[in-house]
Amino acid sequence: MSAGPYAFVFDPELARFQLAPDHPFKPVRYELARTLLLAAGALDPAEVVAPAAIGDDDLRTVHDERYVAVVRAASAPATRPSDPELQRHGLATADNPVFDRMHELVRGVVAATVTAVDLVATGRALRAASLAGGLHHALRDRASGFCVYNDLAVAIRRAVDRHGLRVAYVDVDAHHGDGVQWLFYDEPRVLTVSLHESGRYLFPGTGFTYETGNGAGRGTAVNMPLEPFTDDDSFAESFDAVVPRALRRFAPDLIVAQAGADMHHRDPLADLALTLRGMRHAYARLVELADELTGGRLVLTGGGGYDAYRTVPRAWAWAWAALAGRELPAAVPPAWREEWGPRLGVELPARFDDEPPEPSPRRDQVASRNRSVAERLMAQLEEIWQEAPVA
Amino acid sequence: MLVSDVMTRQVVAIGPDTPIRDVQALMEQRNIRHFPILESRAAPGQPDALVGIVSDRDVRLVGADHPRAPKGVRAADAVSKLMVRQVVTAHPGDPIEETAKTMRTRKIGAMPVMDEGRLVGIVTATDLLDALVTMSGVRQAASRLEVEVPNRPGALAELLGLVADRRVNVVSVLTTRGDDETVTFVLRVATADGHGLARYLREAGVNVSWPPDKRAGP
Repeated sequence: MSAGPYAFVFDPELARFQLAPDHPFKPVRYELARTLLLAAGALDPAEVVAPAAIGDDDLRTVHDERYVAVVRAASAPATRPSDPELQRHGLATADNPVFDRMHELVRGVVAATVTAVDLVATGRALRAASLAGGLHHALRDRASGFCVYNDLAVAIRRAVDRHGLRVAYVDVDAHHGDGVQWLFYDEPRVLTVSLHESGRYLFPGTGFTYETGNGAGRGTAVNMPLEPFTDDDSFAESFDAVVPRALRRFAPDLIVAQAGADMHHRDPLADLALTLRGMRHAYARLVELADELTGGRLVLTGGGGYDAYRTVPRAWAWAWAALAGRELPAAVPPAWREEWGPRLGVELPARFDDEPPEPSPRRDQVASRNRSVAERLMAQLEEIWQEAPVA
Repeated sequence: MLVSDVMTRQVVAIGPDTPIRDVQALMEQRNIRHFPILESRAAPGQPDALVGIVSDRDVRLVGADHPRAPKGVRAADAVSKLMVRQVVTAHPGDPIEETAKTMRTRKIGAMPVMDEGRLVGIVTATDLLDALVTMSGVRQAASRLEVEVPNRPGALAELLGLVADRRVNVVSVLTTRGDDETVTFVLRVATADGHGLARYLREAGVNVSWPPDKRAGP
């Protein structure tokens, strides 16, 4: 169990597998973040917690029984269903190839995030990180966007049903958190807030301002679509215009944050233009909001992030540092760079900060468009909240 | 996609003798904007005849102090005094894009759907808009690519062949604009790695205008 108020849930097995050779989603990122934090003296080995196992029953609190059976069968060559059967569930595709032990490994990811939520919900930790988690695209009966099981949804479901908590989910991945949103679209006890590159330009093509929740959950889905090339300042302004108001209004008992690291300008899969400075703004605000609203309780997961070696480990090191109130040195520890650089075949950055990219010539237009979207979003939400006061 | 895929089958129809004020009440209660008007025929076994249609706008203007209010019609009158008798109808097998075009040119908001003289449904502009949204593929998680290809036979087939090489499923294809030389297609493709696919297409010589060219990560 965790030694202090902060838990870093980690299972080395979850950092070792590959979805397919050259697949952009690289689980080694969790190991890179962990070793970087240890080398920087910002993580105490006693804070590293192994996940507690979960069963298929836990997966079925969110996923369709048939789907779980298909994923399980697909995980061993002898029982693998036909391609058309798999493809009906989004598997055996370029994004979600089937691989050996897929069911067991991804269930392990879910277990890590469930463990993080359990630790925080029961007061054994104040805040916890599950960097292998963050598989926000997985749907009830379908794999999507590199995600097979939705660890976030299973963990949030458990926080609501077992621990009786109201949960605010905040997603700062460059992609819309569609799976989590749809799984709780009618649920008044879960607020989902996603900031992302607009679905007009980027996968999964959803997350528009008019997606606001349904039925009893009306007003509990919030989407802030960002223009391509959004930079640190405009992102921070958008975050501050939307997230604090939505969370204060909802008054959660727990914040679950999906901290995908693909808003960075170097990310090869998205088109935003943040640096680590803008991403740190979100991490710091999330911790402040937890201190203000939930007695500090916060669970943070990973997610996307495809500049996997140079950017993601530093982003998640900053996220953990914010969560656990640690300082990071200016320089990335040389021992870490020397250990991993040659193995990964890249020159790893020497500093924890980074330089902003060339400012986009459309910088002001981008900022003004984001500002106007945020204003209209909040006006629309205020109207909905007045009609249907959050329970 | 056909009208039968998108129409409402539970149609609320009224008789020509229904007082207008009852129609007003029904519109409010049921939140319906268009009522087909049916008259039963003398011969047994014959379906009711469609004799007219009335919309919320026609009904609301009755008795209103408005230049377009129908003259000499009162709320107590039968709806037959108000109804439009030349009803533009659709067939369940009509393609929805044709139906949408008819609605636009005739400036109407709904069409009763008739099959062999029998009212089988109603299709509204909202139904068609929903259908077009579905056809454009935006309900399924996808990346969006804008691709310009030469305006010649086989160009789209070659493009889709390249997409298939990457084991990526195509969710929808829209044509946005074209001139004599080129056609621009918007492809919605079932992959989160739209940039990876765009890179592959560019390497094969395809002109991709979205997403932007980005140097790959490590």
